[in-house]
Amino acid sequence: MTNTTSIAQKISCAIIDDDPFIRDLLVDKLQQYFPEVQVMAIARNGKEGIEKLQESSPDLVFLDVEMNDMTGFEMLSFLPEITFKTIFITSYRHYAIKAIRFNALDYLLKPFDLEELRNAISRFKNQGNGAGKPERIHQALANLTNSDIKEHILTLNTQDGELKIAIKDILQIQGDRNYSCIHLVKNRREVVSKTLSDLEEILDQEFFFRCHKSHLVNILHIHSIPSTFSIQLSSGLTLPVSRRRKQDFQDWYHKNKTA
Amino acid sequence: MDYSFSYIDLSNVRSISRGDSTRVKKYIVQFQELISERLDLLNEALEAKDRVQIRQICHKMIPQLEFFGVKEVRLPISRLELEYETMPMEELHSFVQKIISRLSGALAEVQEFLKNQVD
Repeated sequence: MTNTTSIAQKISCAIIDDDPFIRDLLVDKLQQYFPEVQVMAIARNGKEGIEKLQESSPDLVFLDVEMNDMTGFEMLSFLPEITFKTIFITSYRHYAIKAIRFNALDYLLKPFDLEELRNAISRFKNQGNGAGKPERIHQALANLTNSDIKEHILTLNTQDGELKIAIKDILQIQGDRNYSCIHLVKNRREVVSKTLSDLEEILDQEFFFRCHKSHLVNILHIHSIPSTFSIQLSSGLTLPVSRRRKQDFQDWYHKNKTA
Repeated sequence: MDYSFSYIDLSNVRSISRGDSTRVKKYIVQFQELISERLDLLNEALEAKDRVQIRQICHKMIPQLEFFGVKEVRLPISRLELEYETMPMEELHSFVQKIISRLSGALAEVQEFLKNQVD
């Protein structure tokens, strides 16, 4: 089988998870509700996953984030080539969700709400089988292997596709209800349909601080702190520090200012 | 036969099985096997005061417990996941004991269900 969706819209998939309950449940849900998705390979751990993915070429892989022998990201890094799309599967509150969201990757929470599974498969179909998703996996692997966080690339979904921004280029982010305006170096700005809280959650706390209900500041661009209630950025812009956050801001700044 | 359970809720199992009793049994036997095994591992990890192992075992169990409606353990496991490194050992011990107690109750109900199915 090739990794090209056929005329009948069949989707071949592989399931890689070390929990037999999760494997069985996902197979049953796919068989019952998504007959167009055919499970062509099932692997019980990362090592077996590597073997199965080299033998077969699925369109889509459901991949456990944390397996006994390796993480899902480690498994992907061992593959010579990634030609499939990946949906990570994980439990609630897993620390890897932050990395998944930072890289705008797809994920599902176990034990798989039917609507969420439907939406994930629908997203897969709408995006076709191009190289977009594997590129994101490569970007995520590059981020994860680079210990220099300021060089990490944040990926955000936009109406037109995607937006990639280096952490070091973000001056500050200004929230406005359901949207956020990302202020970048060289006077660039990008507006994204994410709340400031969404972005705060996925950005590294060592670099970013919510100094005000409408502002998230990047420590890399703090030039000076002229008063308890203001921050001067390297671009010349001044940001407010709210009364209730001023002590936390001082603590955070002094702890991380060498970042 | 209708069963009344205190620890488990088989709605999800029945829903995915669509009236197929063999499939219901498959999920229940799997619950019995996996949770028993993980309970043993949890007791061992607790004995060894191995915080990382405790977190990993609990984390692995969450989806299956949720699927079987064992809701009372969700909160202690969530807290444990966040605080497993910093929580005082005594408190961690008490949390895990609470989880073990609920899981033992769930297992007993599952065993009773299976026994009645066979009988």
